[in-house]
Amino acid sequence: MREPKESWRKVAYDLRPAKQVERRMLLDTMQMLSLAGFHISEYQYTGFGSIYFVDFILFHKLLGIHRLLSVEISEKIEKRVNFNKPFDCVDILIKPIGDVIPTLSPDRKHFLWLDYDTIVNSDNLSDILLATTYLTPESLLLITVDVEPPGEEGDGPRQWRAYFREEAEPYLGSATEVRHYAKDSLPRINIQIIEKAIKKGLTGRSDVEFLPLFNFLYADGHQMLTIGGMIGSKAERRRIEGSRLIETDYIRLDLSKEPFIIKVPNVTRKERLHLDSNMPCSDTWETEEFEIPPDDLAAYSQIYRFFPAYAELLL
Amino acid sequence: MTNKNANAYPKKRFFLEMFTRDISLEDCILDLIDNSIDALIRSRHIDILSDLLNPVSSDESVSSNKQWQTLPTITVSFSDKEFRITDKCGGISPEAAQAEVFNFGHSNDFSGSLGQLGAYGIGLKRAIFKIGNHFDMESTTTTGGFKVSIDVKEWSKKDTKISDWTIPLELTKGVKTLTRAGTSIKIRDLRPEVCMRINDGSVEGILHTKIAQTYALFLERYVRIYLNNQVVQPETMVLGQSEEIQVGKDQFDEKSPEGVVTVILIAGLAARTPKNTWPLSSAGWYVLCNGRVVVAADKTDLTGWGAGLANFHYKYRGFKGFAFFFSENPLLLPWTTTKRGLNRESPVYQRARNRMVGLSKPVVTFLNDMYPSEVSEEIAEREIAEKAVATNINRVAANPSKGFGVVRKKSAPKTTVQIAFQSEKDDVARIKKCVREPSWSAAKVGEYTFEHYLRMECPE
Ligand SMILES: C[S@@+](CC[C@H](N)C(=O)[O-])C[C@H]1O[C@@H](n2cnc3c(N)ncnc32)[C@H](O)[C@@H]1O
Repeated sequence: MREPKESWRKVAYDLRPAKQVERRMLLDTMQMLSLAGFHISEYQYTGFGSIYFVDFILFHKLLGIHRLLSVEISEKIEKRVNFNKPFDCVDILIKPIGDVIPTLSPDRKHFLWLDYDTIVNSDNLSDILLATTYLTPESLLLITVDVEPPGEEGDGPRQWRAYFREEAEPYLGSATEVRHYAKDSLPRINIQIIEKAIKKGLTGRSDVEFLPLFNFLYADGHQMLTIGGMIGSKAERRRIEGSRLIETDYIRLDLSKEPFIIKVPNVTRKERLHLDSNMPCSDTWETEEFEIPPDDLAAYSQIYRFFPAYAELLL
Repeated sequence: MTNKNANAYPKKRFFLEMFTRDISLEDCILDLIDNSIDALIRSRHIDILSDLLNPVSSDESVSSNKQWQTLPTITVSFSDKEFRITDKCGGISPEAAQAEVFNFGHSNDFSGSLGQLGAYGIGLKRAIFKIGNHFDMESTTTTGGFKVSIDVKEWSKKDTKISDWTIPLELTKGVKTLTRAGTSIKIRDLRPEVCMRINDGSVEGILHTKIAQTYALFLERYVRIYLNNQVVQPETMVLGQSEEIQVGKDQFDEKSPEGVVTVILIAGLAARTPKNTWPLSSAGWYVLCNGRVVVAADKTDLTGWGAGLANFHYKYRGFKGFAFFFSENPLLLPWTTTKRGLNRESPVYQRARNRMVGLSKPVVTFLNDMYPSEVSEEIAEREIAEKAVATNINRVAANPSKGFGVVRKKSAPKTTVQIAFQSEKDDVARIKKCVREPSWSAAKVGEYTFEHYLRMECPE
């Protein structure tokens, strides 16, 4: 058995700005889905709260989700997880998520976030397959994985291909040549693998399909990919297409399109205030006050609503 | 422009020579048994879905004498001269014989109920063609019967018009009681390869095992099968269950315009053998269509191993699962025509396979925890596994749907410690002599002296 990667040692999850932007975009989407008639506050949220529970705190406080289940694979932090549980309505299970997914209630709608901080492996893919096997119609599924090259320093596409053959053989499709595994292609390879695992779980379920919503690529250090969407029928598709979601920059209704890149530009507090006072801005707007590369300005205008402000707090 | 029609006729030779190649002799014989059991289902009004998995009540249990006498029988016997199968399962009506039974496949406007196990309408013909050149068949119901006698070689020579595709029947009278109604098929002039197989002596053993396994849910409950005069006992279908172990169960209906398929999945730990082991050979998934075993002890990607689940490994030998597919329309079931495999393209099978993976996950996790180093079993898991009692599948199937789970009772902290030490053999012998117990083992001597010291020197 593969040992769980102990990322809870490494990073304070709440201080990763791109990840925080992603979480806030998710919140934004959930609000739009609520407006489109999906009762998000009645959904059950199942995720990996680890010891910080950032996602749980946000979803409970801002979306009113009150059925919350945090699953943690590492028995070593069982007490810590329980100690840090933020609300009484959070349930905790110390188990691999694959053992839990089949037991998710068929009488509820679910919001399941498989927020791995590791490179995709066969266990993850089987979790994804199970998710789309069991999740009820109208449920939301999100998958986050690390899309850096697998393996050792000094490895190249040939070794990376070997890794994916080992872990994801049934999902590689036509990606057979070494050249398909160049570093720049790895996010695309991951998207294809995850999409195939999603489809596999849905085979035989004639009533529903996977309706994509998210395809994010971002880096707070490591490059991460998040794929997400709804398990739904034609009716849900129509509701989504009739909502504000379709005119939202970061939404991806089709996974073959390029991912939305969450880029958090480096700007000072003073610069932010100035930029914000001009937002939303047209594509041609520029600022005379200070130098800012056009790319950064464009990125800023796409994420400013979701950009966290950090300040030191003496407690 | 001129238009012509190309010939697209069936040819008898195809059915005689090609059609019989993809199926083993044993499976052909099972096809004939399927037909007998179908007659039983029809005549005794057995509801496969609701009856088969019902817990066996005590008055129909195997040992009960009353049932013993009255079970309908199927008798299979063969030598290198002749093959025979005779049943008392209710028979085939002359109407069905005339309209349907000898067709190759069911016709579009066939309105009668398809056989629940027969399904494809080819088993009888394929079995006859596979086995020999001459067959006699006789069947009686309570309303009427028929007789047939055919030389297959002669019959196949005439093959020019569609009217050559008929078989002469002699209609006969019915019998008075249902218990006497049945069908008998006798095949003579066996094909050389069949004679060879029969003479090499392996067929009977294989067939015995296959019948015991394939009809495990029917044998000694609805029917008794004799193979060359020996009663075939069912291979029991059991799982390990206890207060601590909850066997996993899942159930769903797959609906389509052609009908409903009910899928019941059960997975958990196998029961331990009397030697307290889990035999590797019987581990894996068993797939049953309308109660008939189609795939046994599967450890391949067909049932999710290496495709959602980890590859099957020796340490998973404690895994056992049963996947039941039921439908009144047997064509919706995912079996192949030989009933030895699954049709991978079937949507209901694909959906079931994903859920078989889900149901198996926690069992696999348990077994992983049990063999962390793969050398020895972890104590806590082993104790749980050992306490499991073999429980019949019918009992387990009555459980509500729930994932596999283990309730770990906090075991009382250990209060004992092991003492081991070396002693001079002479000294041990002296003590034995002193206490006049020459047969004691060295360990017993050690225990005795320890207790003696405790009693004499350390009063409470
Ligand atoms: C990236 S963190 C989750 C962060 C959280 N979603 C957030 O937004 O703050 C990943 C956690 O999931 C746990 N984990 C990883 N794989 C798991 C699995 N298969 N089952 C259960 N927990 C898992 C890890 O041990 C780790 O504590």
